[in-house]
Amino acid sequence: MSRSTLVAVGKLPLYLGVSGVAILMILPFYWMVMTAFVPAPDIIAFPPKWIPSRLTLQHFAEAFAKAPWLAYYWNSFVVAVVSVGCSLLFGLFAGYAFAVYRFPLQNFFFILILATLMVPVQVTSVALYILLAQIGWVDTYQGILAPNFASAFGVFMIQQGIKSIPVDLIEAARMDGAGETRIVLTIIAPLIKTTLATVAMILFLGSWNDFLWPVIVINSQDLRTIPVGIALFKDPYGSMNYGPLMAATVISTGPMLLAYIISQKYMIRGIALTGLKG
Amino acid sequence: MASHRNRSVRQILARLHARRVLHAYLFIAPVIVLFGIFRVAPAIQTLLYSFYKVELLRGRFTFIGLENFTALLTDEIFRKATVNTLTFVVTIVPISAFLGLILAVLFNAKFHLKEFFKAVYFAPMVTSTVAAAVVWWWMYNPQFGIFNVLLKLVGLPEQPWLMSSHMALPSIIIFSIWKTLGYNMIIYLAGLQAIPQQFYEAATIDGAGAVKRFWRISVPLLAPTTTFLLIYNGILAFQVFDQVFVLTGGGPANSTNVVVLDLYRQAFERYNFGYASAEAMVLFVFILGVTVVQYVYSKRFEVTY
Amino acid sequence: MRGAKALAIALALLLLSPALALAGAAKTITLWYPAGDITAGAAHFADKTLFADFEAKNNVKVEAVALDYDTMQQKIFAAAAGKNIADILFIDTSWLPGFLKEEMLEPVADAKAKAWLAAVSPEIKELSDYGKGRMWGYPQYGIDVYGLTWNKDQFKEAGLDPEKPPKTWAEFREYAKKLTKRDAQGNITRVGYAIRHVGHPHGVVHKHFWAIYGAGAALIDNPNALRGGKAMINTPGGKAALQLVLDMLDVDKSTSLNFPDPRAAFLKGIASMQISETVSIRGRQPKEAPELKWGMALPPVPKAGDKPVTLLGAWLYSVPKQAKNKALAWKAIEWINSQEKDFELCKKYGASPRYAANWDKEPFKSDPYDQGLKQLYPSGKKLPINLALNGIMDAMGGAIQKVWHHEASVDAALAEAERLANKAIAEAAK
Repeated sequence: MSRSTLVAVGKLPLYLGVSGVAILMILPFYWMVMTAFVPAPDIIAFPPKWIPSRLTLQHFAEAFAKAPWLAYYWNSFVVAVVSVGCSLLFGLFAGYAFAVYRFPLQNFFFILILATLMVPVQVTSVALYILLAQIGWVDTYQGILAPNFASAFGVFMIQQGIKSIPVDLIEAARMDGAGETRIVLTIIAPLIKTTLATVAMILFLGSWNDFLWPVIVINSQDLRTIPVGIALFKDPYGSMNYGPLMAATVISTGPMLLAYIISQKYMIRGIALTGLKG
Repeated sequence: MASHRNRSVRQILARLHARRVLHAYLFIAPVIVLFGIFRVAPAIQTLLYSFYKVELLRGRFTFIGLENFTALLTDEIFRKATVNTLTFVVTIVPISAFLGLILAVLFNAKFHLKEFFKAVYFAPMVTSTVAAAVVWWWMYNPQFGIFNVLLKLVGLPEQPWLMSSHMALPSIIIFSIWKTLGYNMIIYLAGLQAIPQQFYEAATIDGAGAVKRFWRISVPLLAPTTTFLLIYNGILAFQVFDQVFVLTGGGPANSTNVVVLDLYRQAFERYNFGYASAEAMVLFVFILGVTVVQYVYSKRFEVTY
Repeated sequence: MRGAKALAIALALLLLSPALALAGAAKTITLWYPAGDITAGAAHFADKTLFADFEAKNNVKVEAVALDYDTMQQKIFAAAAGKNIADILFIDTSWLPGFLKEEMLEPVADAKAKAWLAAVSPEIKELSDYGKGRMWGYPQYGIDVYGLTWNKDQFKEAGLDPEKPPKTWAEFREYAKKLTKRDAQGNITRVGYAIRHVGHPHGVVHKHFWAIYGAGAALIDNPNALRGGKAMINTPGGKAALQLVLDMLDVDKSTSLNFPDPRAAFLKGIASMQISETVSIRGRQPKEAPELKWGMALPPVPKAGDKPVTLLGAWLYSVPKQAKNKALAWKAIEWINSQEKDFELCKKYGASPRYAANWDKEPFKSDPYDQGLKQLYPSGKKLPINLALNGIMDAMGGAIQKVWHHEASVDAALAEAERLANKAIAEAAK
């Protein structure tokens, strides 16, 4: 037996263990897709058909007829893009200010921003809701975006990223007569591209999957984001048929999973790095 | 004299400009203002509301001192919600972290398809908790769900899962472990990979086996990562809501009610905003307390070689 | 600077345009209704031409907006808080106390109420009248009656007469035992009787009322009083009602906690009997279980000779106090609830009419479902109107769940529930 084969055999328990757990991890996804594409009688057949003998799109048709998934997607998209866009823009400028300038009350403001990480939306949701109700922002895009126009995490990460830029670069640009805003947008931003991209990715994921705040502030079906849509698609009394329900989850999670499959290496690395810095 | 003052004002402004103080305030203004209105002010309001009876539609705010809090103490439902939340935190945080650590150690070795497996393990983190919970709700279905089907296949009795007040919370815990396992693994893996190989080599030369190397080198040097994960996951676990909302709605018989769900109910189904604010304050104190305790405690375990 | 000025003008035009557009249009009144599988009684709002004649005659547009049933109460509340609420609300009568507590609704004008109460059939009168002729809205047709439904084929299979439902609790238990089926490993594959024990506590109470009322118990002593009263939960009747199902769970093993929703289980054929809104079965059976042959009757009573009582629920057309177009709203409500419209819509949607006169016309006269309902109606009671109803139902629902899930004994749970209910009543009376 060759050396590499011996090594492979020695690793057999490792492979078994890793594969076993992997099957458990994937089982829900597999079962979700199975139920979504398999005709109703086959779903509840016993013994279960692990490989389906026939497929159907009937459940998807029903799921699409029962809820405006396109509207849900649009809403999630608008909310995510605006919140991530604003967070990046505002975070870029704020991060720059904290990293480069010295100004009175600097520490106070910085700690204030970081402190918001300690007080999650859950704790402030009631008072925030009351405020929004009084200004008529309940059940509107602005309402969903209200706590998410800026991100403390974003400010922190960007500030860290900018700190590593040599001051000389900035000084040189100033000598050349560039205004501060121009410096931030045309010099600093490109230099911390990776940080910005990582922050954007994490914030986008967070916004896309956000549930508690949207479910509090959204009341109209047409305004729902995808998480609210899928959570309320399921009838709490169990009378929803499983096929369309799973089709709906496939509709909800499909695109994000696809994006994940394409960019997973990047996603994983980005998230791992934030852990280290934390 | 007027021109004197003018010049000094201009001088101050010029100096400020040179120190870019105005720029600084301008640049941080959007974040500060937005946070101020939508995060900081509501946080302070929550504290205030917790001492009031809030009748939003009638515009009546009645100061009632500590009445909300004393009511919370005798509220059996809230007590159960607190116990459930604590149970949840105390189980999933260490278990998820520990399993994540084991997996990270396994993944530190080289083997085929490592990247593929890594992606598989991390996938649950990418899906929204509610969508994943909907799938698990179906899997937990007592008549037709895959879990009972598998049990039937091997001849074991069917379980009620989410339908039983004894099994519902454990079922939710299992789901939550599945969801967060990949994240713990990835973070630990990054931490492991930061440990210099020399330590392991030196230990092997000294005759230390794999298990000893694990406990004597990996675990201590990973202490900062462990602290981070325990705090981060702990805070998240206290805020658990999404999966409970979808899987059980807090039942049956309150066995899966958690603080955030109860808060949500009190505020948005019963319109007891003052009472809900009091619950929010309690939640905040828990989060703060746990974080501080963990942080202080962990400092004693930091180790450098 | 030029650019800025142009921008300002453009912005101003943009902001003004909606105002300009609105100036010449017909007035619009909005109607909110709950949509979803649960809400068979609101199906007609999906028809965009529903109000066509009314709209033409009054130069007004009626915009019917569908809301999700589960979040509708919150939406209504939030809209009231933001002073931006619809003109007509189509609500579940069980929400009424919650809204009345916040003083959100306008009552029906006395004269109109009198006319309505005189023209409708007795069960509608019972539903509409909240004491001394006071009406908080017009109840919708196709009201919910909670009745026993059973699977005729499964009865035959078990050796029972498919046309004879159980009439007493003893018969009920016996039938359920005979109808329960198990597989080789002892797992229950079909329950004789399906219970609702998960989900919203109010739903749990609704589907248990037949037993509570049947045993001579009640939730509160004066069901028509808005404030005050004493909870009557911890009584021998209440205990007996809980004990009945508990015995079926533990002793007979003819029902099970593994089956979540009685209606879904019944339609899927894994429950032979269930007690809930008959209108839901009537609405869903043709599509979900076309082969199912089912019967409908009054729920069983503790012993022969007792009077059966069942729950009446309904939807209400109501107008919130903060509506911007109240006069038009009431006009639209009166129009759609006139005798002619009642006849036309009930015929179109296969529902039972409300006006006594319409009951004498075809097709209602000979429809078996409608005539079957007529047997049930006289035994129907509506929910109490007490402002603390939500709190009382929470307490009762909690007790029921605890007992059936073996978290507490019947005595302990009911005592606790009564204590909490009285607390809620005291709170609401303030």
